[in-house]
Amino acid sequence: MSHDSSSPDFLQHHFHDVDQQYETAKLGMWAFILTEVLTFGGLFVAYTIYRSWYPEMFVGANLLLDVNKGLLNTVVLITSSLTMALAIWAIQKKNQKLSLLMLIATFVFAFMFLGIKYLEYSHKFEVGQLPGEYYSYMGPEIAHINNPHIFFSIYFIMTGLHGLHVAIGMGLIAWLIYSTAKGNLHSEYYTPMEMIGIFWHLVDLIWIYLFPLFYLI
Amino acid sequence: MTEKKQNYLTHPKGIMSWLLTLDHKRIGLMYLVGGILFFFIGGLLALGMRLELAAPGNDFISSDTYNNIYTLHGAIMIFLFIIPAIPGALGNILLPLMLGAKDVAFPRLNLASFYIYSIGALLAVYTILAGGVDTGWTFYTPYSTQSTSNVIPMTLAIFVIGFSSILTGLNFIATVHKMRIPGLTWYKLPLFVWALYGTSLVQITATPVIAITMVLLMLERFLGIGIFDPALGGDPVLYQHFFWFYSHPAVYIMILPAFGIISEIIPVHSRKKVWGYKFIAYSTLSIAFIGFLVWGHHMFTSGQSVFSQIVFSFITYFVGIPTGVKIFSWILTMYKGQVSFTPPMMYALSFLFLFTIGGLTGIFLGAVALDIHLHDTYFVVAHFHYVMQGGTIVAFLGGLHHWWPKSFGSMYNQTIANICALGVFLGFNGTFFPQFLLGLRGMPRRYATYDEQFVELHSYSTFWSGILGISIFLAVMNLVWSLRKSNKLDPGPNPWGAMTLEWTHTTSPPHPHNFEEDPVLEHGPYDYDKVIVEPTFKK
Amino acid sequence: MSEHHITPLRTYLIIAGALFFLSGVTVWVSYFDFGPFNIVIAMGVASLKATLVALFFMHLLWDDKKNLTMFVMSLMFLAIFIIVTLLDTNFRGGVNSETEYPINKRAAFYDSLPLTDTHGHPVDEHGSDHHEGDEDHH
Repeated sequence: MSHDSSSPDFLQHHFHDVDQQYETAKLGMWAFILTEVLTFGGLFVAYTIYRSWYPEMFVGANLLLDVNKGLLNTVVLITSSLTMALAIWAIQKKNQKLSLLMLIATFVFAFMFLGIKYLEYSHKFEVGQLPGEYYSYMGPEIAHINNPHIFFSIYFIMTGLHGLHVAIGMGLIAWLIYSTAKGNLHSEYYTPMEMIGIFWHLVDLIWIYLFPLFYLI
Repeated sequence: MTEKKQNYLTHPKGIMSWLLTLDHKRIGLMYLVGGILFFFIGGLLALGMRLELAAPGNDFISSDTYNNIYTLHGAIMIFLFIIPAIPGALGNILLPLMLGAKDVAFPRLNLASFYIYSIGALLAVYTILAGGVDTGWTFYTPYSTQSTSNVIPMTLAIFVIGFSSILTGLNFIATVHKMRIPGLTWYKLPLFVWALYGTSLVQITATPVIAITMVLLMLERFLGIGIFDPALGGDPVLYQHFFWFYSHPAVYIMILPAFGIISEIIPVHSRKKVWGYKFIAYSTLSIAFIGFLVWGHHMFTSGQSVFSQIVFSFITYFVGIPTGVKIFSWILTMYKGQVSFTPPMMYALSFLFLFTIGGLTGIFLGAVALDIHLHDTYFVVAHFHYVMQGGTIVAFLGGLHHWWPKSFGSMYNQTIANICALGVFLGFNGTFFPQFLLGLRGMPRRYATYDEQFVELHSYSTFWSGILGISIFLAVMNLVWSLRKSNKLDPGPNPWGAMTLEWTHTTSPPHPHNFEEDPVLEHGPYDYDKVIVEPTFKK
Repeated sequence: MSEHHITPLRTYLIIAGALFFLSGVTVWVSYFDFGPFNIVIAMGVASLKATLVALFFMHLLWDDKKNLTMFVMSLMFLAIFIIVTLLDTNFRGGVNSETEYPINKRAAFYDSLPLTDTHGHPVDEHGSDHHEGDEDHH
């Protein structure tokens, strides 16, 4: 199908022009971001309430989390955000190859994030720091804390939901890699890349809050 | 249907063209069918309850069964009918038409939203067949974490349907912002569009919270996470905060589209310009916003702090103000207009009466001291049925009657429709007014049986619920009957002489792509003082 | 396609650098104890990082203002949810002081949980009824 500049093949029939389509996609994506903020937000509410009731639970139990792994994950995610942004920059600059490389880098960093998380989770499973009724770790650091299972419940649910979003993001980025390699995305049309980029930055943004809340304070 | 040209019902053809349609009008129709189906299922459950309550004692069904019935009635009516119906059915069919657009912003998401609704609906049906759930539609902990009934399938259904609601809202927001024809500025939009816009804002903001709440509830059951269950160190009142943070704005998701329908019917059937257009538009946004600040008025007897009781009660009073503004605006719109008593108008007039009672009784309940006595009594049941049924469902029926000729190209028998409308009005008042009295005298809700002293009022309520049920059923059947091939009544494109784009620039039923050419805006939506538009149907 | 704003490469690199720096700051600061201000400082730094991500990486600085408005609104409603719920949970105990905290200060299942060492293996210190505890020698 010919690539007619007045009616390109990626222009959907109910839109007048590509600008309207692009702007609308962005607006829709930000509406979706709003819903994600409120979804995670519910969990932040649970965190806030329980922290205000049991501050010593949070201050004590978070000593059991590995700050180094948390910081490493923070660095990994920020780097992946950068490579995601650079992927879009590259394709805007008509550099298809660089864009593809940046997307692959983003995917790799996302995988690293999940890998580090897996290490953290498996350690916790081993020692019995599990959510809810499965909790069994009663080591010296938290023997004085009343309901550590609540801390770990909130920890697992929040980082778990976040990790699920990382995994979903990886799937979306994989699709971007495929589309860019095939040439379906290019400097005239990269809207999906930008939209998935916004989603990926949100994933980074949520971790920016999770890291200090669980690991540092 | 005498329209010989292609219309969205006949073109394209084939079952796959419906199952994979991207046409917002077809998707709207599918929502309409689904919604009405679940409305009838919920209605049968209600009639089951009324039969049990006709006399004291557990003569008809056991208390356990009764608990399942009111839970399913509530959950099905709210999540499978009232919340999705007006936006999903009427909103989908009409919004692009009213904006001059060819479709909504994201047609594929629109279809996805319908299928997600269907999956949630299947989960709900599974719950019924698996023996129901008995926690009440509010799923309060700790009972919901311990009940052996089918809590997980139902909460999963609600979780899934939430996504459908979010996608619809997201789609409508993008559509209203981006898909209007040139010249169609915000203050020239039909008020139904304002209503859908306000509703959509609430949908995308509030629904994610019920989603995460249902997830937390499921995790509480599976893992014992200890957030809502007191035995595990959690707080059941916190569950209620989570639940009502969504569920209060949800009632505005239910009523704002209904307000929008009334705002369309009244000027058209009074042939008069809307009085207070900006009042109505801004009050929609105010209600949407203030609605997020008052959820604790559902929790006055739950044990929250006295401080927050005061805050919630105080703010609750404010939410009645923009609503009152609307009622006055509608009445002033009718004043000195040429009111015709068509079925849509009959429903609109019913709405004004019934919703006012419902809204005012909500204000009574907003007073903490009064609510301590009335909470969990039949007063509350009567209040919310006056607003949800006397309000939303009556408006929905009015909207169906108003836009039926446009959607299907057939006119129904208006005399029968008017009789049914009267039956709905009388049946509704007969069913639910006694319930205010029952509540004031102490009859608790969610009870399968009661003291002898309540029998008279309960028997009136049951009797009139039969009239109500029959009237609604006949009203819908009358509409469906108009679709028969031998129906000669052709409404033409503009049977009511209205002025919004769906009436002035499309055929009845509309073309698959809505407009044969891009419409050009010639006048405002209610310019009865400037322009004369002749109705294309004379009774 | 009309020209979309292309963020300069320099901007991306500077912002990324700032994010790394602030991450280091927030870890460094966590080793000092500022009492109740620990949370304030940590959330302040996090919010600064989040602002950089939103404005620059997510392009909100140059976008149609509706997008920024929606994002800010989402945060506002989240704030309403948190603050108004806290008006309840932090002010209980006014009428009846027993209601100040959730009812179970300690969930029941802890009564049957033995103390453990840092590897999660039960430690039997009190010579109680449970005998599966093994001392961990390593």
